[in-house]
Amino acid sequence: MHRIHRHTANCRNVAKHVQEQLDYGLSSGAYRKIKEHLERCPKCTAYLDSLKKTVFLYQRYPDPHVPKRMRQRLFAVLNLH
Amino acid sequence: MPLSELELIRQAQRGDERAFTRLVSHYESLVYGFAFKVCRDKELASETWQDTFVNVYRKLHQFDGRSKFTTWLYTIVVNNCRMKRRKSKLEVASVSIEAPGGFHDTRGTDDEGRGAQTTIPPWKETPLDAVMHSELKGVLDSAIQKLPMDYRIVFILRDVEGLSAEETGRILKLSVPAVKSRLRRARVFLRERLNPYMTT
Ligand SMILES: [Zn+2]
Repeated sequence: MHRIHRHTANCRNVAKHVQEQLDYGLSSGAYRKIKEHLERCPKCTAYLDSLKKTVFLYQRYPDPHVPKRMRQRLFAVLNLH
Repeated sequence: MPLSELELIRQAQRGDERAFTRLVSHYESLVYGFAFKVCRDKELASETWQDTFVNVYRKLHQFDGRSKFTTWLYTIVVNNCRMKRRKSKLEVASVSIEAPGGFHDTRGTDDEGRGAQTTIPPWKETPLDAVMHSELKGVLDSAIQKLPMDYRIVFILRDVEGLSAEETGRILKLSVPAVKSRLRRARVFLRERLNPYMTT
Protein backbone atom coordinates (compact mmCIF):
# COMPACT_ATOMS: atom_id res chain seq x y z
CA MET A 1 0.00 0.00 0.00
CA HIS A 2 1.26 3.43 -0.88
CA ARG A 3 1.78 5.70 2.07
CA ILE A 4 -0.24 8.84 2.11
CA HIS A 5 1.61 11.64 3.80
CA ARG A 6 -0.39 14.51 4.96
CA HIS A 7 1.45 17.00 2.82
CA THR A 8 1.96 14.84 -0.21
CA ALA A 9 -1.46 13.22 -0.37
CA ASN A 10 -2.75 13.91 -3.79
CA CYS A 11 -6.00 13.09 -5.48
CA ARG A 12 -4.45 10.26 -7.43
CA ASN A 13 -3.27 8.42 -4.32
CA VAL A 14 -6.55 9.03 -2.66
CA ALA A 15 -8.48 7.56 -5.59
CA LYS A 16 -6.64 4.27 -5.11
CA HIS A 17 -7.19 4.19 -1.38
CA VAL A 18 -10.78 5.17 -1.74
CA GLN A 19 -11.36 1.98 -3.71
CA GLU A 20 -9.67 -0.13 -1.06
CA GLN A 21 -11.78 1.61 1.49
CA LEU A 22 -14.86 0.54 -0.50
CA ASP A 23 -13.62 -3.05 -0.44
CA TYR A 24 -12.12 -3.85 2.89
CA GLY A 25 -11.84 -0.83 5.05
CA LEU A 26 -8.42 0.62 5.74
CA SER A 27 -6.17 0.70 8.75
CA SER A 28 -7.20 3.56 10.97
CA GLY A 29 -4.09 5.59 10.11
CA ALA A 30 -4.60 5.43 6.37
CA TYR A 31 -8.30 5.96 6.81
CA ARG A 32 -7.73 9.13 8.83
CA LYS A 33 -5.47 10.56 6.14
CA ILE A 34 -8.01 9.84 3.45
CA LYS A 35 -10.73 11.36 5.54
CA GLU A 36 -8.68 14.47 6.03
CA HIS A 37 -8.10 14.70 2.32
CA LEU A 38 -11.77 14.14 1.52
CA GLU A 39 -12.77 16.87 3.93
CA ARG A 40 -10.83 19.47 2.00
CA CYS A 41 -11.17 18.04 -1.52
CA PRO A 42 -14.61 18.28 -3.14
CA LYS A 43 -13.27 16.53 -6.24
CA CYS A 44 -12.37 13.33 -4.41
CA THR A 45 -15.56 13.51 -2.39
CA ALA A 46 -17.65 13.75 -5.55
CA TYR A 47 -15.63 10.97 -7.12
CA LEU A 48 -16.06 8.60 -4.18
CA ASP A 49 -19.76 9.35 -4.12
CA SER A 50 -20.08 8.54 -7.82
CA LEU A 51 -18.20 5.25 -7.40
CA LYS A 52 -20.45 4.25 -4.53
CA LYS A 53 -23.52 5.12 -6.57
CA THR A 54 -22.23 3.10 -9.52
CA VAL A 55 -22.02 -0.01 -7.35
CA PHE A 56 -25.31 0.76 -5.63
CA LEU A 57 -27.22 1.10 -8.90
CA TYR A 58 -26.07 -2.28 -10.17
CA GLN A 59 -26.93 -3.84 -6.82
CA ARG A 60 -30.43 -2.41 -7.02
CA TYR A 61 -31.11 -3.61 -10.54
CA PRO A 62 -33.86 -6.18 -9.98
CA ASP A 63 -33.27 -9.86 -10.70
CA PRO A 64 -35.50 -11.45 -13.32
CA HIS A 65 -37.58 -14.37 -12.10
CA VAL A 66 -37.20 -17.84 -13.54
CA PRO A 67 -40.05 -18.63 -15.95
CA LYS A 68 -41.75 -21.99 -15.34
CA ARG A 69 -41.23 -23.06 -18.94
CA MET A 70 -37.45 -22.95 -18.47
CA ARG A 71 -37.64 -25.57 -15.76
CA GLN A 72 -39.99 -27.72 -17.84
CA ARG A 73 -37.68 -27.49 -20.83
CA LEU A 74 -34.66 -28.46 -18.72
CA PHE A 75 -36.37 -31.49 -17.22
CA ALA A 76 -37.52 -32.53 -20.69
CA VAL A 77 -33.97 -32.25 -22.03
CA LEU A 78 -32.67 -34.37 -19.14
CA ASN A 79 -35.57 -36.82 -19.33
CA LEU A 80 -36.71 -36.04 -15.80
CA HIS A 81 -40.13 -35.14 -14.54
CA MET B 1 -23.24 -25.66 3.69
CA PRO B 2 -26.00 -27.02 5.93
CA LEU B 3 -25.94 -30.78 6.42
CA SER B 4 -29.31 -31.26 4.80
CA GLU B 5 -28.01 -29.50 1.71
CA LEU B 6 -24.98 -31.75 1.48
CA GLU B 7 -27.30 -34.71 1.96
CA LEU B 8 -29.48 -33.45 -0.89
CA ILE B 9 -26.43 -33.21 -3.13
CA ARG B 10 -25.33 -36.71 -2.14
CA GLN B 11 -28.78 -38.09 -2.94
CA ALA B 12 -28.71 -36.36 -6.31
CA GLN B 13 -25.22 -37.77 -6.90
CA ARG B 14 -26.60 -41.25 -6.28
CA GLY B 15 -29.11 -40.64 -9.06
CA ASP B 16 -32.14 -39.54 -7.04
CA GLU B 17 -34.12 -37.49 -9.56
CA ARG B 18 -36.26 -35.76 -6.97
CA ALA B 19 -33.17 -34.64 -5.09
CA PHE B 20 -31.82 -33.21 -8.32
CA THR B 21 -35.00 -31.30 -9.12
CA ARG B 22 -34.98 -29.90 -5.58
CA LEU B 23 -31.39 -28.82 -6.10
CA VAL B 24 -32.49 -27.03 -9.27
CA SER B 25 -35.24 -25.19 -7.44
CA HIS B 26 -32.79 -24.12 -4.72
CA TYR B 27 -30.31 -22.64 -7.16
CA GLU B 28 -32.28 -21.72 -10.27
CA SER B 29 -32.64 -18.05 -9.29
CA LEU B 30 -28.99 -17.66 -8.41
CA VAL B 31 -27.92 -19.09 -11.78
CA TYR B 32 -30.49 -17.20 -13.83
CA GLY B 33 -29.87 -13.94 -12.01
CA PHE B 34 -26.13 -14.23 -12.47
CA ALA B 35 -26.40 -15.18 -16.15
CA PHE B 36 -28.72 -12.25 -16.77
CA LYS B 37 -26.43 -9.81 -14.97
CA VAL B 38 -23.58 -10.93 -17.18
CA CYS B 39 -25.29 -10.96 -20.58
CA ARG B 40 -28.18 -8.47 -19.93
CA ASP B 41 -30.41 -10.50 -22.24
CA LYS B 42 -33.17 -12.82 -21.01
CA GLU B 43 -33.01 -15.21 -23.95
CA LEU B 44 -29.26 -15.61 -23.67
CA ALA B 45 -29.53 -15.93 -19.89
CA SER B 46 -32.13 -18.64 -20.31
CA GLU B 47 -29.86 -20.64 -22.65
CA THR B 48 -26.95 -20.20 -20.25
CA TRP B 49 -29.16 -21.31 -17.39
CA GLN B 50 -30.12 -24.51 -19.18
CA ASP B 51 -26.56 -25.31 -20.26
CA THR B 52 -25.43 -24.79 -16.68
CA PHE B 53 -27.92 -27.22 -15.17
CA VAL B 54 -27.26 -29.78 -17.88
CA ASN B 55 -23.57 -29.53 -16.89
CA VAL B 56 -24.48 -29.79 -13.22
CA TYR B 57 -26.52 -32.91 -13.91
CA ARG B 58 -23.70 -34.56 -15.85
CA LYS B 59 -20.83 -33.45 -13.61
CA LEU B 60 -22.41 -33.62 -10.21
CA HIS B 61 -20.39 -36.73 -9.32
CA GLN B 62 -17.26 -34.55 -9.63
CA PHE B 63 -18.35 -32.29 -6.80
CA ASP B 64 -16.46 -33.53 -3.76
CA GLY B 65 -17.88 -31.25 -1.10
CA ARG B 66 -14.56 -29.69 -0.24
CA SER B 67 -15.50 -26.32 -1.71
CA LYS B 68 -18.82 -24.61 -1.23
CA PHE B 69 -21.43 -25.88 -3.65
CA THR B 70 -22.08 -22.31 -4.83
CA THR B 71 -18.38 -21.85 -5.67
CA TRP B 72 -18.57 -24.95 -7.85
CA LEU B 73 -21.84 -23.76 -9.39
CA TYR B 74 -20.50 -20.28 -10.16
CA THR B 75 -17.50 -21.86 -11.88
CA ILE B 76 -19.84 -23.71 -14.23
CA VAL B 77 -22.13 -20.78 -14.96
CA VAL B 78 -19.14 -18.47 -15.53
CA ASN B 79 -17.76 -20.89 -18.12
CA ASN B 80 -21.11 -21.03 -19.85
CA CYS B 81 -21.40 -17.25 -19.88
CA ARG B 82 -18.01 -17.03 -21.54
CA MET B 83 -18.89 -19.62 -24.16
CA LYS B 84 -22.30 -18.17 -24.82
CA ARG B 85 -21.31 -14.61 -25.28
CA ARG B 86 -21.89 -13.19 -28.65
CA LYS B 87 -18.94 -11.37 -30.04
CA SER B 88 -20.46 -8.11 -29.07
CA LYS B 89 -19.43 -5.08 -31.03
CA LEU B 90 -20.27 -3.05 -27.97
CA GLU B 91 -17.61 -4.66 -25.85
CA VAL B 92 -14.45 -2.60 -26.01
CA ALA B 93 -11.18 -4.35 -26.72
CA SER B 94 -9.48 -5.68 -23.59
CA VAL B 95 -6.35 -3.83 -24.64
CA SER B 96 -7.94 -0.48 -24.06
CA ILE B 97 -9.03 -1.30 -20.52
CA GLU B 98 -5.52 -2.46 -19.60
CA ALA B 99 -3.80 0.58 -20.97
CA PRO B 100 -3.71 3.68 -18.83
CA GLY B 101 -6.05 6.14 -20.40
CA GLY B 102 -8.32 3.42 -21.64
CA PHE B 103 -11.23 4.68 -19.65
CA HIS B 104 -11.59 8.21 -20.74
CA ASP B 105 -10.92 10.86 -23.25
CA THR B 106 -7.49 12.26 -23.89
CA ARG B 107 -7.58 15.44 -21.88
CA GLY B 108 -5.19 15.53 -18.93
CA THR B 109 -6.37 12.70 -16.76
CA ASP B 110 -4.84 10.58 -14.08
CA ASP B 111 -4.91 6.80 -14.17
CA GLU B 112 -8.18 6.56 -12.33
CA GLY B 113 -9.79 8.24 -15.27
CA ARG B 114 -10.40 11.59 -13.72
CA GLY B 115 -9.68 14.89 -15.30
CA ALA B 116 -6.69 16.27 -13.47
CA GLN B 117 -7.71 19.87 -13.97
CA THR B 118 -11.44 19.64 -14.39
CA THR B 119 -13.96 19.62 -11.61
CA ILE B 120 -16.07 16.57 -10.90
CA PRO B 121 -19.74 17.31 -11.23
CA PRO B 122 -21.76 15.74 -8.44
CA TRP B 123 -24.06 12.86 -9.32
CA LYS B 124 -27.76 13.15 -8.89
CA GLU B 125 -29.42 11.18 -6.13
CA THR B 126 -29.91 7.52 -6.95
CA PRO B 127 -33.55 6.51 -7.09
CA LEU B 128 -34.90 5.08 -3.88
CA ASP B 129 -38.31 4.17 -5.23
CA ALA B 130 -39.05 0.49 -5.40
CA VAL B 131 -39.16 0.22 -9.17
CA MET B 132 -36.12 1.12 -11.18
CA HIS B 133 -37.35 2.82 -14.30
CA SER B 134 -36.56 1.40 -17.69
CA GLU B 135 -34.50 4.33 -18.91
CA LEU B 136 -32.03 3.87 -16.07
CA LYS B 137 -32.02 0.10 -16.61
CA GLY B 138 -31.14 0.74 -20.24
CA VAL B 139 -28.25 3.00 -19.24
CA LEU B 140 -26.92 0.38 -16.80
CA ASP B 141 -27.29 -2.44 -19.36
CA SER B 142 -25.53 -0.56 -22.08
CA ALA B 143 -22.64 0.53 -19.84
CA ILE B 144 -21.90 -2.95 -18.55
CA GLN B 145 -22.21 -4.54 -21.99
CA LYS B 146 -19.26 -2.43 -23.09
CA LEU B 147 -17.12 -3.77 -20.26
CA PRO B 148 -14.91 -6.70 -21.34
CA MET B 149 -16.31 -10.03 -20.14
CA ASP B 150 -13.57 -10.86 -17.65
CA TYR B 151 -13.95 -7.52 -15.89
CA ARG B 152 -17.71 -7.74 -16.00
CA ILE B 153 -17.68 -11.11 -14.26
CA VAL B 154 -15.35 -9.86 -11.52
CA PHE B 155 -17.53 -6.80 -10.93
CA ILE B 156 -20.71 -8.87 -10.70
CA LEU B 157 -19.24 -11.55 -8.44
CA ARG B 158 -17.65 -9.05 -6.06
CA ASP B 159 -19.85 -5.98 -6.01
CA VAL B 160 -23.25 -7.36 -6.98
CA GLU B 161 -23.24 -10.95 -5.72
CA GLY B 162 -21.12 -9.95 -2.74
CA LEU B 163 -18.52 -12.74 -2.95
CA SER B 164 -15.14 -12.26 -1.32
CA ALA B 165 -12.05 -11.52 -3.41
CA GLU B 166 -10.72 -14.95 -2.37
CA GLU B 167 -13.78 -16.84 -3.57
CA THR B 168 -13.93 -14.79 -6.78
CA GLY B 169 -10.28 -15.67 -7.35
CA ARG B 170 -10.99 -19.38 -6.84
CA ILE B 171 -13.87 -19.27 -9.34
CA LEU B 172 -11.89 -17.39 -11.99
CA LYS B 173 -8.49 -18.92 -11.19
CA LEU B 174 -7.08 -15.47 -10.52
CA SER B 175 -4.91 -14.21 -7.70
CA VAL B 176 -6.50 -11.88 -5.16
CA PRO B 177 -4.44 -8.89 -6.38
CA ALA B 178 -5.62 -9.62 -9.95
CA VAL B 179 -9.23 -9.70 -8.74
CA LYS B 180 -8.75 -6.38 -6.94
CA SER B 181 -7.14 -4.70 -9.90
CA ARG B 182 -9.87 -5.84 -12.30
CA LEU B 183 -12.54 -4.77 -9.88
CA ARG B 184 -11.07 -1.27 -9.59
CA ARG B 185 -10.83 -0.89 -13.35
CA ALA B 186 -14.33 -2.23 -13.85
CA ARG B 187 -15.81 0.26 -11.40
CA VAL B 188 -13.96 3.17 -12.94
CA PHE B 189 -15.03 2.08 -16.41
CA LEU B 190 -18.70 1.82 -15.42
CA ARG B 191 -18.53 5.07 -13.51
CA GLU B 192 -17.24 6.85 -16.60
CA ARG B 193 -20.02 5.37 -18.73
CA LEU B 194 -22.74 6.38 -16.27
CA ASN B 195 -21.27 9.80 -15.67
CA PRO B 196 -23.05 11.68 -18.49
CA TYR B 197 -26.41 10.29 -17.45
CA MET B 198 -25.89 10.87 -13.73
CA THR B 199 -24.73 14.46 -14.05
CA THR B 200 -27.44 15.83 -16.34
ZN1 LIG C 1 -8.59 15.04 -3.88
